[in-house]
Amino acid sequence: MKSGIQSRLLLTTTLVLGFSLTLAGLVLERSFRMSTLSGAEEQLRLVIYSLMGAVETAGAAVQVPEPLPEPRLGQAESGLYAWISDSRNRVRWRSPSAVTGDVPAPDAQPLQPGEFRFADASTGGDGLLRLAYAVIWEDPEATVLTFHVAADWMPFRAAIVSFRRNLFVGLGAVTLLLVLAQVLAVRWALRPLRTMAHEVREMEEGRRRALSTAYPSELRGLAENLDRFVAHEERSRSRYRKAMEDLAHSLKTPLAVIRNALDRVPAEPRTLLEEQLDRMQSTVTHQLSRASVTGPVIVGRLIDVGAQVQRLLRALQIAYRQRCIEVEVDLPEPCQVRGDERDVMEILGNLLENAFKYTRSRVRVSGEIDGTLTVRVEDDGPGIPEAVRQAVLRRGTRADEAQPGQGIGLAVVAELVGLYHGRLRIAESDLGGACLELELPLTSVGALS
Amino acid sequence: MRILIVEDEAELARQLQETLRGAGFVVDAAADGEEGLYYGNEYDYDAAIIDLGLPKLGGIELIRRLREGDRRFPVLILTARDHWQDKVEGLEAGADDYLTKPFRMEELQARLNALVRRAAGYASPVIASGPLALDTARKELRLNQEAVELTAYEYRVLEYLMLNPGRVVSKTELTDHLYEQDFERDSNVIEVFVGRLRKKLDPFNPIRTVRGQGYRFTAEGGV
Repeated sequence: MKSGIQSRLLLTTTLVLGFSLTLAGLVLERSFRMSTLSGAEEQLRLVIYSLMGAVETAGAAVQVPEPLPEPRLGQAESGLYAWISDSRNRVRWRSPSAVTGDVPAPDAQPLQPGEFRFADASTGGDGLLRLAYAVIWEDPEATVLTFHVAADWMPFRAAIVSFRRNLFVGLGAVTLLLVLAQVLAVRWALRPLRTMAHEVREMEEGRRRALSTAYPSELRGLAENLDRFVAHEERSRSRYRKAMEDLAHSLKTPLAVIRNALDRVPAEPRTLLEEQLDRMQSTVTHQLSRASVTGPVIVGRLIDVGAQVQRLLRALQIAYRQRCIEVEVDLPEPCQVRGDERDVMEILGNLLENAFKYTRSRVRVSGEIDGTLTVRVEDDGPGIPEAVRQAVLRRGTRADEAQPGQGIGLAVVAELVGLYHGRLRIAESDLGGACLELELPLTSVGALS
Repeated sequence: MRILIVEDEAELARQLQETLRGAGFVVDAAADGEEGLYYGNEYDYDAAIIDLGLPKLGGIELIRRLREGDRRFPVLILTARDHWQDKVEGLEAGADDYLTKPFRMEELQARLNALVRRAAGYASPVIASGPLALDTARKELRLNQEAVELTAYEYRVLEYLMLNPGRVVSKTELTDHLYEQDFERDSNVIEVFVGRLRKKLDPFNPIRTVRGQGYRFTAEGGV
């Protein structure tokens, strides 16, 4: 089963939407993180500058007088730390926040004067953002002082996490909305197709002759073509049938005339002529019976098999009135297949006539519907011996040539049943005679339904 | 026995007439449905053979109209098309049996005999009445198991009477069913046949004379 247009469209758009929105989310998240980082670096730079403005040197002593340029530097474990070290990497001053408790040490890597170094330790390390700056101090010794500041990454991370959460909730909502809108749009766009499927089904069931005309322009051509095709099929089917009937009439009547005229012919050529005539007749009968069956239809009707069986049985009871045949019917209700009415009637008629011809006194028609329609026609006649069953179903063989009537024979029935992708089997009946089991698919137009 | 044939194919109609006449039937032939309807309504037949593919008036419609006109003689359909639709419609219209072309004449005769017997209420080809046994298939009469030789016309008179037991059959009716329509009608001939039959069946006497009306066949056959 191929997935429907609707699910294909939905799958595609959902995938594309999901992919692009995820990508957008990642890009946004990344740039937010970057800007957060550069903002943090900027803050640290400002702290360094303000420290540089406030610092006082007196000989070897480096002092930052109160009040500190950044209040957080004065609070213990505030998350903002500062150190000032000299060229030999000795810490000459540390902010009060970096004095007490478990506080980190400044970065020990030496720096060239005038150089900034930013270290992002947000992932791994001690969880600090560090910025260091080396400067040549304007005192007589031209001391190189390195200013270190470090900020706790946690508050920035919290902002990023909260941003990320908002971002994904928002994007998720957008995705959901878009998918929903897509579902509605697809359903709306595909409604004419569903209508068409519905109307085609109605046509198959014989409740409608043609498609309606209210289709969008994209489908109008298809609908019109379908209508034309169906009408054409119906026309050619009946034309073909008519031609076959005319052919049958124009072949069989002369055959009857020749056969009867043979009675006056001397015995010597007559046997030969009769033999040849028999062959001609059986070929003509066989081929015409086959040809007159049109097979599965595009726009079939639901055929009431039960009603057809009853109708055929009533007719056969008239023709076989003197035999006083007892008929028993046990068919499910409703008992319907889809196909050509005349074809189904040919199949059933020949099976039933066969039973009437060979039965002694009883005929039973039973069946059930179980995915397929099964119809069994049984009689209490001589039955068909196992050895000849296959031959009976093959072309041009009849188990008992002596039986009256020129029925088209089970071989042709088997062929017709084959056209409908059904099966015909011969078995024994508990009535004592033959049991012909017909199996027909419930629909002959599986592709369209 | 008077039979109506409605068949448009002239040669087949001719063969049917020839065969059935040879078998002792009186035969009228119509070449289209309208003519068939005319014959069917005008004369009293014992059976009709009707082809379904007829010009002017189709076979099925012909049968329907005959039945509507209360014509009850049995009808055998001939069809070249061999479709169940046709057969079923024909039987529903009022036909009694069908035969598909091409057919053998023996088959047609057997079906026709069966239809005539059936219409008279006999299932078997042998009509038994007291010590009489008339085999309509072999056209033989037995009286107390002894074969009785009959001429063709004697046989036809007896068969018609035995197929209509207990009913008074007029001489005109007998003539109609025994002779072609252009035959010179002479009711004395019927009297001669009945007289000969009575002699051959003696002492069994199933054929009664109903004064001024005709004859009646009775099973008792007493004196």
